[in-house]
Amino acid sequence: MTDTATLERTCEGTTASLELTHALTQTLYREARLLDDEHYKAWASMLAEDLHYHMPGIETRYRRDKTEQVTDLTRMAYYNDSKPEILKRLSRLETGTAWSEDPATRYTHIITNVEVELTEKADEFRVYSNFYAYRNRNERDEDSLIGNRIDIWRQVGNSFQLVKRRAILKHNVMLSKNLNIYV
Amino acid sequence: MRFERIGREPDYSRYMDLKEGWLDRRIFSDADIYEEELYRIFARSWLFVAHESQIPNSGDFLTTHMGEDAVIVARQPDGSIRVMLNSCPHRGNKVCFADAGNTRRFVCNYHGWAFDTAGDLKGMHEEYCYDAGDIDFKNHGLKNVAKVGNYKGLVFATFNSDAPSLEAWLGDFRWYLDMILDNEEGGTEFIGGCIKSVISANWKFGVENFIGDAYHAGWTHDSGTRSMNNGQPVPPIDMDNSYHASVNGHGWEFGTEGVGDLFLLGRPKVMDYYNKIRPKMAERLGEMRSKIFGSVASASIFPNVSFLPGISTFRQWQPKGPMQFELKTWVIVNKNMPDDIKEEVTKGVMQTFGPGGTFEMDDGENWENCTTVNRGVVTRHERLHYRCGIGRQIEHDTLPGIVYRGQYNDANQRGFYQRWLDMMTHDEFGKMPARPEPQLGNVGETRDLPGLFAL
Repeated sequence: MTDTATLERTCEGTTASLELTHALTQTLYREARLLDDEHYKAWASMLAEDLHYHMPGIETRYRRDKTEQVTDLTRMAYYNDSKPEILKRLSRLETGTAWSEDPATRYTHIITNVEVELTEKADEFRVYSNFYAYRNRNERDEDSLIGNRIDIWRQVGNSFQLVKRRAILKHNVMLSKNLNIYV
Repeated sequence: MRFERIGREPDYSRYMDLKEGWLDRRIFSDADIYEEELYRIFARSWLFVAHESQIPNSGDFLTTHMGEDAVIVARQPDGSIRVMLNSCPHRGNKVCFADAGNTRRFVCNYHGWAFDTAGDLKGMHEEYCYDAGDIDFKNHGLKNVAKVGNYKGLVFATFNSDAPSLEAWLGDFRWYLDMILDNEEGGTEFIGGCIKSVISANWKFGVENFIGDAYHAGWTHDSGTRSMNNGQPVPPIDMDNSYHASVNGHGWEFGTEGVGDLFLLGRPKVMDYYNKIRPKMAERLGEMRSKIFGSVASASIFPNVSFLPGISTFRQWQPKGPMQFELKTWVIVNKNMPDDIKEEVTKGVMQTFGPGGTFEMDDGENWENCTTVNRGVVTRHERLHYRCGIGRQIEHDTLPGIVYRGQYNDANQRGFYQRWLDMMTHDEFGKMPARPEPQLGNVGETRDLPGLFAL
């Protein structure tokens, strides 16, 4: 992991060109569309082999409390996954017995506030964004999951692969019965 | 002290017949019954409030709920643990809004009333506004619970000064609890953090699922099991060598094959670790318990704590009205495990029994719909079937408690609802029947007892 760009800015960030920003923004939108449509195989092909996908659990603590809740990977997390671990979770949907996905959940991912920065690695880019993941299910089940993301995307040929993602969900008590969604 | 609700003396025995094996659905949805549960069960039971490892140092605290009462659990300078209402005696505001932290004082945001970590009132904003005789500092602290107890790292509290000792409350169930709390030198600890979620279901559905419902695993969790284990389904259950054991409403259902839950965790390194320490576990806890640990198993402590020994999810079902609970989940590990094994366990738990876990995802919807269908007045008067295995009670040489043969069984669920009925019905603990009479005697330490035959 040490040979990939860091999520935290290590030098003064340099804003990427309009062209690069556009390409990565389109990549995020494409990813969101694949997730909305449950095209998980296509989504998985956007994930780098050395992926780290992290959504930490965040406790409510006073400002003076310096407990590191985000970067300490030994703490509890909704996701703290490698690519094989994500694929394991996804394989549940292919068993035909994932009862709580049938009838299907309806998803919409809204991705906004995209900023793209160059990193110390020429082929890797730091991408900030916000997500609004909306779920509706059966008759009235409804959840809104909102938060920020910091990603590292790596250019591979003409496309990009997700190398790192840290998604911060803004819930303390997750106001939902499960998290059958990727953001 | 007793907390009583005026004017309610319904006959709760009409809501179930456990000898016949049925329950009335209104206990899962009725608002009056729920209110009465808060008085008769949550205000009177020993309730889990923390693992001692969450608050190791003086001034460490966390906040939680006992029933719907908000409480603070705080480590004192002398190392003891106090539990007190998170509510200022002045106007009632919460005095602590954090989930956890470290502090010398809890200070109310409203008028600056300040309390030390024992809950004693130490001062307030503009103290001169009170004349002599207006306020007695000694009697205006944060109300402490009646009793705090610690069983091998698990901290419990009760508002009930008449409650029996924690050891007596857990009774012979300690023999089973030792399997998760004391299977290795050094005891246990919780991994940092707590993941909370909301399920629109009655709290009892979570408890009864973990107390005895092995039956649902192979069906509800077929997809989860296959995803964690290269397409393989839940292993077949050996009905001759698996059991339900119930003690005063606590319950543990288990096989004796030693590997089932470890297999479901989907982490070969964790399986290897336990297989490596198993001979020592056998020396420590006896042969039988070393064979039970790691098997397909689940357990609940009355009224609202559950865990999976081997999978290491530890959870509490916090009541939030008749049709909602908040699920708090933690990861429990052995303190002496190497860091990489702790990390494997943590990842495994979150991938199986976190909100995004391959098992957890299929549970909530079932419990929600078991609950919300009872909005229908005709539906809520229909009985539910709890008769599975009703004729399979056995006497066992080694296993304490009320024991039934065959892991697919409703026996522990019936034991849980029997205790529920006992508490809803009896005003005094002393008059509540023991179920069963303690079999291990009045021993201080259950670790060294291989089982009943040793007596």
